[in-house]
Amino acid sequence: MSSHALATGDLLVILRHAPHGSSWLREGLDAALVAAAFGQSVTLLFQSDGVLALARGQQAGPLGQKSTAPTLDMLAMYDIESLFFVEDALASFGLTQQDLQLSASGIPVTAIPELLAGHKQILTF
Amino acid sequence: MRYALLVQGAPYSSQASHSALRFASALLARGHRLECVFFYHEGVYNAARLAAPPQDEPHLHDAWCALNAEHGTQLQVCIAAALRRGMLDEREASRHGKHGHSVEPPFELTGLGQLIDLGQSVDRLVTFAP
Amino acid sequence: MILHILNRPPSSSLVYREALAAMSDTDRLLLVEDGVLGALTSQVRHFQQVEGRLFALREDLHARGLEGQCDASVQVVDVDGFVTLTEEADKTVSWF
Repeated sequence: MSSHALATGDLLVILRHAPHGSSWLREGLDAALVAAAFGQSVTLLFQSDGVLALARGQQAGPLGQKSTAPTLDMLAMYDIESLFFVEDALASFGLTQQDLQLSASGIPVTAIPELLAGHKQILTF
Repeated sequence: MRYALLVQGAPYSSQASHSALRFASALLARGHRLECVFFYHEGVYNAARLAAPPQDEPHLHDAWCALNAEHGTQLQVCIAAALRRGMLDEREASRHGKHGHSVEPPFELTGLGQLIDLGQSVDRLVTFAP
Repeated sequence: MILHILNRPPSSSLVYREALAAMSDTDRLLLVEDGVLGALTSQVRHFQQVEGRLFALREDLHARGLEGQCDASVQVVDVDGFVTLTEEADKTVSWF
């Protein structure tokens, strides 16, 4: 996974929380979608626990709490195609790229600064 | 420079609001302009008009209002994050058939797009989170 | 240059690792709120890789009675200094 061209753009949204436990992931994705709807070029970085947002098989919660998985499916519709995850983070949960519900590019930890430098605005969730 | 702040922490639960207010007064004292404070996530509770903290504690809601009155700083609250959490202005309260409202000017309910706009239009956007 | 702002202490949260991983060789790190616990001599080893680029907010140290324990390698700034750091940076990123 070393031959990727790292993205540049208007907004980098860093998602660091797993689904369901808090609203950070949902509200971070909402910010990304709105920015894209406003015509900005948006990149998503799934870092630490945030990589679990990409995992296959997510469901609604027992009280009907919405899953974030359908929101992920909307990213392409909003032209958000620049999706990155930190390789070590995914590996730390024993997951591989085959376990992901959509295609995202793995990057080494050392590539994160470059991603930040390439975007005008950065929001962490 | 033109600044905006993004506040994501609930008042009195985390230090985020206090830190943001301190930073706001410091940047204004240095001659910068504070265009807007945008409240998202649990930060929307900063807009609670019925907040009644003990008299010997800082009144955060009033401090935000003072910022608006003295410096024209807009106080914008993400409407989606607010409605879910019971933060409704008069218009939204009547639209949802609720008695009473929890948000009033100078706080305004607004779309998340405002935050995105701010990010592009100001020189610095600083986030204060829980 | 990016100013990274961290409000969690390394003693109880691993978020500092996320912040450090995101920092370039010229970026700066400001410890605020509970993050200032990381500025203590007994804790500052976690931030070795950003020595010389590590700052802590004086009033958060002071409020916690920790100003005296802050390591000499950490640059202590007041809230004015916080504003100055944001002026000098191209953008800021908050870690929490």
